[in-house]
Amino acid sequence: MKRNATKTLLVGALAALAISALFAASANAAPAWRFNGTELSGSETILGGAEKSGLKVKGMTTTCDNFLYKITISNKSGTGEGSVTELPLYNCYTDTVCTVSAITPEALPWPSNLTSVSGTPYIVIKNVKVGILYGNEECVLDGFLVSVTGSAGGLISNASENATFNSSSFTATGTKLSAFGEKVEWTGVFPTEAFQWHREQALSVS
Amino acid sequence: MPKKRNSTRVVCMALCAAALATLALAGNASAKLVGEFTKFQQCPWTTEGVNKCLYSVTAGGEVVLGTKKVPVEKSVTIQGGFAKPVEGFSKFFAAKNGETMSKAAQNVPGGLLGIVPPEKSPALVKALSAFFFENALTGVTSTLELTSASEIKVSEVNLASKEGVALKMPIKVHLENPFLGKSCYVGSSGSPIIWELTTGITSPTKPNEPIEGSSGTVEFLESGRILRLNEAVLVDNNWSAPAASGCGGILSFLVNPIINGQIGLPSAKGKNAAILKKNTISISTATAVKKVDSENP
Repeated sequence: MKRNATKTLLVGALAALAISALFAASANAAPAWRFNGTELSGSETILGGAEKSGLKVKGMTTTCDNFLYKITISNKSGTGEGSVTELPLYNCYTDTVCTVSAITPEALPWPSNLTSVSGTPYIVIKNVKVGILYGNEECVLDGFLVSVTGSAGGLISNASENATFNSSSFTATGTKLSAFGEKVEWTGVFPTEAFQWHREQALSVS
Repeated sequence: MPKKRNSTRVVCMALCAAALATLALAGNASAKLVGEFTKFQQCPWTTEGVNKCLYSVTAGGEVVLGTKKVPVEKSVTIQGGFAKPVEGFSKFFAAKNGETMSKAAQNVPGGLLGIVPPEKSPALVKALSAFFFENALTGVTSTLELTSASEIKVSEVNLASKEGVALKMPIKVHLENPFLGKSCYVGSSGSPIIWELTTGITSPTKPNEPIEGSSGTVEFLESGRILRLNEAVLVDNNWSAPAASGCGGILSFLVNPIINGQIGLPSAKGKNAAILKKNTISISTATAVKKVDSENP
């Protein structure tokens, strides 16, 4: 009777240890921001500009030649976080008769965090909201303010120090941007380079 | 004398030329819009104030009127133009040919079988009622009719964003059957049924429960000049319907109560529903339609 109880206790303890180890592994899986291989302490600002970033709905793609951004990054309990504070967009147009009268990010800052999917690091930006005002009398959206909302996930490449947003990265992170109540594709490659305390240092995520 | 023959020939030729020119112009008048724009043929885009053109086809769904559920088996088309929005809603302009809403007679499943005239009804009414309602051969049809095109209100923003009323329509339901005559209506121009259709979620009076519409899938055509919503679903289950009137011709004073009893009219809010499915909604700007028209003489 006593042997049986001891055995049950041991099995229980082992199971608890295994579960703890599993949770610990999950927690460690969330990547952190690093500069020259060292985990970032405090915060840093990333400034950059993407080239030709586009939003696509069936039959119309809205492209911005200059897509600047400013993100404040930090690590919290070993997990990388961030906050998109500025996102000016310039030289925007469509592949239709519609012109882009105005394009404005709304409700900034947008929170973000690093995550790992099957060992690959991604950045997820939440609460995204961009208002696009289209123009041209022939355009069916003339004077119509289209609101693009949702979340966006981008694949981080440590080798080329950039984040790539496309349909694959959205699928991997389970994120989605919507306009007119349906999915919108967003593509763009964003360099990840520090512009404050860690200038010219290699930025990586792991 | 030869001079007179010549002048007659000239007059004949001139008349023939004029006739040919008239025919040619008549041909052009209905063939100037091309491609996806042809569906906007009846949009009054030359009318002052018309900013956009609408062409919408409903190919499915159902209308629940009191105790009767009528499936939409025949397509219904709504077409016309609309102005720039004022406080969110745009004024509607009727189609050029007057057919703003096509009249599609939908079969009422089971007709009005089960109608039992009151015991005190005259023998003639009982006999006619039995003949027309209590057999499967003489069905009853239900046709949606607009009471006033200018009373339609459109909100493009709500249509796309799945919030609020997207399309407000005053309608009446025409019930037809040899016994009911040609003037049996639920709703009238003076007292129409008001549908406030949404692509979002309804907030109906009980016993109805909230139902959800859909803006469908969005597609831009003709280089951004046309917006098309495919498979959109428009719903409203918070409308009331008045009693039927004009049913049975001169016997309407007897037949109206029978119809009202059978359908459950008047029917209060929360007991009726309009669920319009398989909607293909096309919108273009009047400027684009005008330009296509002028470029294709």
